[in-house]
Amino acid sequence: MSNESTAGPSGTESPQPHALIRGLTNDQRDLVSVSAILLVVVVVAALASGGTFLQPGNLVNVLQQNVVLFVLAIAQFIVVLTSGIDLSVGAVVALSSVLFVGYLDFGVLPALLIAVAGGALVGLVNGLMVVLIRLPSFVATLGAMQIVYSIAKLFTGGAALHASLGGAPIPDAVTGFYDRSVLALPYPTLVFVAVFIAALVYLRSSVGYFLYAIGSNDRAARFAGLPAGKLRVGAYVVASAITAIGGVLFAARVSYGDPQAGLWLPLDTIAAVSIGGASLTGGRGTILATVLGVLIIAILNNTMNLIGISPTLQPAIKGLIIILTVFLYSRRGS
Amino acid sequence: MASHGELIVKLEGVSKSFAGIPVLHSVDCEFFAGQVHCLLGENGAGKSTLIKTISGAHAPDSGRIVFCGQDITGHLPAWAKQHGIATIYQELDLIPNLGAAENICLGSEPRTWLGQIDRREMRRAAAETLKSMELSLDIEAPVQTLGIAQQQMVAIAKALTRNNRIMVFDEPTAVFTKNEKDTLFRLIRDIKARGLAVVFISHHMDEIFEIGDRITVLRDGRVASHGPVTDYDHDKAVRLMVGRNVDSSRRVRSPSSGSRVLDVKGLGSGSRVRDVSFHVDAGEIVGVAGLVGAGRTRMARLIYGADQRTSGEVRLRGARVEPRSPITMIQLGVGMVPEDRKRDGLALERSVGENLGYTLVRALSRFGWVPWSRIRQATEEQMAKLRVRPNNPSIQAQRMSGGNQQKLVLGRWLMCHTDLLILDEPTRGVDVGARAEIYALLQLLRSRGMAILMISSDLPEILSQADRILVMAKGRVVGELDGDQATEEAVIAMAFQNEAEAA
Amino acid sequence: MSAATHDLVATGSTGWRRIDVLARNGQIVVLVLLAALGGLFEPGFFSRLNLSAIGYQYSVIGLIALGQFAVILTRGIDLSQGSLIAISSMVSALTVPSLGLPGSIAATLAASTALGLVNGAVVAWTAVPAFVATLGMMGIARGIALTLTNGNPVPMTDAGFHHIAWGRVYDLPVPFLLFVVAGIVIALFLSRWPLGRHLYAVGGHEENARLSGISVSRVKLSAYALSGLLSGIAGLIVTSRMSTGHPLSGMNYELESIAAVIVGGASLFGGTGRVSAVIAGVLILGVANSVINLSGLSPYLQGALKGSIILVAVALSQIGLRSGRGRG
Repeated sequence: MSNESTAGPSGTESPQPHALIRGLTNDQRDLVSVSAILLVVVVVAALASGGTFLQPGNLVNVLQQNVVLFVLAIAQFIVVLTSGIDLSVGAVVALSSVLFVGYLDFGVLPALLIAVAGGALVGLVNGLMVVLIRLPSFVATLGAMQIVYSIAKLFTGGAALHASLGGAPIPDAVTGFYDRSVLALPYPTLVFVAVFIAALVYLRSSVGYFLYAIGSNDRAARFAGLPAGKLRVGAYVVASAITAIGGVLFAARVSYGDPQAGLWLPLDTIAAVSIGGASLTGGRGTILATVLGVLIIAILNNTMNLIGISPTLQPAIKGLIIILTVFLYSRRGS
Repeated sequence: MASHGELIVKLEGVSKSFAGIPVLHSVDCEFFAGQVHCLLGENGAGKSTLIKTISGAHAPDSGRIVFCGQDITGHLPAWAKQHGIATIYQELDLIPNLGAAENICLGSEPRTWLGQIDRREMRRAAAETLKSMELSLDIEAPVQTLGIAQQQMVAIAKALTRNNRIMVFDEPTAVFTKNEKDTLFRLIRDIKARGLAVVFISHHMDEIFEIGDRITVLRDGRVASHGPVTDYDHDKAVRLMVGRNVDSSRRVRSPSSGSRVLDVKGLGSGSRVRDVSFHVDAGEIVGVAGLVGAGRTRMARLIYGADQRTSGEVRLRGARVEPRSPITMIQLGVGMVPEDRKRDGLALERSVGENLGYTLVRALSRFGWVPWSRIRQATEEQMAKLRVRPNNPSIQAQRMSGGNQQKLVLGRWLMCHTDLLILDEPTRGVDVGARAEIYALLQLLRSRGMAILMISSDLPEILSQADRILVMAKGRVVGELDGDQATEEAVIAMAFQNEAEAA
Repeated sequence: MSAATHDLVATGSTGWRRIDVLARNGQIVVLVLLAALGGLFEPGFFSRLNLSAIGYQYSVIGLIALGQFAVILTRGIDLSQGSLIAISSMVSALTVPSLGLPGSIAATLAASTALGLVNGAVVAWTAVPAFVATLGMMGIARGIALTLTNGNPVPMTDAGFHHIAWGRVYDLPVPFLLFVVAGIVIALFLSRWPLGRHLYAVGGHEENARLSGISVSRVKLSAYALSGLLSGIAGLIVTSRMSTGHPLSGMNYELESIAAVIVGGASLFGGTGRVSAVIAGVLILGVANSVINLSGLSPYLQGALKGSIILVAVALSQIGLRSGRGRG
């Protein structure tokens, strides 16, 4: 097996990792890194909480409370894969939660579809701004965030929505969603698993394959005849549609639609994606590693609550995590 | 002020390799004050690399660089600039959005007692420098709005304002008109008179004889010859550049009996490609030779749809086509291996198998579903056929050697239906072993009826692989050679046209 | 933003003057048109109250837009400005009892500038992109601001502080004066001082700037520190206006500051722009905002409208820049 690395014109060579690691692919190495961090975090959590963390009840708690984050991180990963960033995830959650609750008059399933369609529409606009106008994604999605929050507030008149537009109360199917389970797996977790599998299928399809290509070298992908623009727009649409599903889950959990929800979600999802090893410049990462990254964030949240760190400090910690992980991962020689 | 004849820069046994491929072999060279020393050689002979070792952009693998008696081997460009080694590259070191005056004084702006920039003084200094160069241009306009030749002049003016000992010009006249060239030469003579050493690279033989005092001819990274310019003439210089024993094992060429695959008439795009007409038949390899900047890559990209043409027509298998984008042309059976495989060819972070599969996945996928096992199998087969080493599809592309990387890009087009294959510098940065394998592959494809258009700056390569050779200069096809006419001297003679002939 | 290699492309000597004049005057034309529209359709537009309101609100945005402009010139971005306003707000209210008015002002500006320096350090010395670094800082600063008093606002106890937002000098509101003074100082700095010109150089072609001996790190540090300082001043005004230090102040201000800079003709790729155009951009946003406010539409529709206008304006500017420069 050739162990030479390709030297650039200035003679510098990419750093050689430890022999054991060298044989693994990029993705495998990232999984190892994230798992290691996860292990450390679990140990820290167990110690810091004096063992309460490891109680089964608490673990289920962690999963249930963070289902929305798990779903959203998958969406954010898809956008980051194309070397973009989606700051509008929180706003889409808000919008889809109020759309869902508001249109329950038509039935649970139709309301769900409307909410997802709304999310997809936002994604479409994001994608078009990035591809056609070539706005950097953080500007486009920052603007979209503001607009979508306004639309959500417009829809409800500013307050949270506790009943549908027609005045009907939220049905039990929704309010009790989090309490039901099948084979000891709560419904929301099932939804997450479904989204996870769907995303895996998506990324294993030709579309996913091309997204990795575009994210890691857009120029080369175009030169080889890949329709980069269409694929990128598609990624934003899919991501926002998934985000909308997260928004519906959120509405089910709190039993109302909140036009101001998700203010910190962009930060949380970017932190999760970063820890999961996805490169913010695109073309690298896996859904599995991202999910592990969310787990790390979720456990951190939980531990911080358990040991009494003020919830207001949490955005600060996320911000720090983002900078640190991007910094550390930027030094990994591929 | 250096006295004339003082040794400014000396290279002793300088060698340099990139990715295992040697570019400079133990080069000895001396540059004296008050002399214009011209470097001559084909593309790839090592001229660029040599001057980059002087400027500090590359550090030599072995050998020494001595500057004014001091061993400075391994120095950095910033150091070189500060201590009097000025290099004018083709990629100028100006700030595009700032004016000429600001650029000239950048980093050492004249100040008032308040710390402000003394604009009047800055303008005056810049105007004075430009005047001494007998130039007049708008010193306030952002330099990116100036013509390229003028931008070059500003870059030179900038170098002049420092106390430089040696100035290196890397093909400065590539885009000049005759007047601009005269101005530049006047400048160079002035610089020479001031006691600087001047290094000058050019492909225009007549310029070298006009301005040069000494010549060093590089061939395959070695000094083939050096001496005062009076020792040389045009023919001798060409012979020295080419010098190698012509490979007598040139293969016998059977005339092409294939149908016409590509027919290009009057193809043009601005001033970079002008009125290009030629054809490629099935089962033949047409080589395109010429100097850097002759428009070869641009022309190829026009046919492939990567750039938009402004005139002319392209026909594939007799039918007129519109090369709107690579997607269009790929569907019509055209493939292209780009010049820069790292930038336009491969996603280096991704695996070998992934990179190879771009075209096949696109061809075989149905509504997103991909027959992965079939693709994996096809990929492995292809890698084996191409003798990609190591034969492991999961390795990251950037870990492969240049030759193997090139095989991947090439291999893409073998995994889908390709009638016309365009190659741009197919063996640049590729080791000897892989090179031979790629040549064998090209001959095999040719014998199977593929039409191949091959751009190359490597003359032996073009001569041994191509059936016919087109020579381009300044955006036009200036000649076509085949059979016995196709010799290195003939190609170089055509490529090294002076402006009067090619304009 | 990709690191495109800069080619020095000629667009013709006379062409640039025409484009530059257009760029300079384009914003003013739009501004005058908008103001005229406002005056026509809304009777209260030119009233003293309304102009005051515009003046106050957009003095704050204007100040941070100047800082954002400096950062964008170097091809960076500062997403933390709103959060730095919040921290400044909290610091000023919290330090007034112990440090007094001048002390608290000094402490506030020191804190915001220091945080700006941290931004600059991360951007200058690590491979972390600017938007990630300032996004992280956004979280960090907001988190700290919220934690200082557990999310509760802090009343401003010093009466003199009131003058920062409500005072008038020669009948002009102090915030407006601060904005104008800052604008003039920064305009002079950017056109006359080497460090100011180096901001343009680094944004125009970082590698060539480095080769010319410019300390790129120092330039970037200065830009982000300036942005931090101006966010601090903005924070003081905000606190004074509400007489309260509020941890949720400044939310989403960075979007408006970025929009003002882009509408003002600067490119997100750095190296271009003029302070006068940025100020015009701020005023355009201010007038547009006011027109929408006075329209009587639902406040949330207003929000959506404002956001859309910002995006449209930014999109138009980006497209205009691209074709104006002749780059594809």
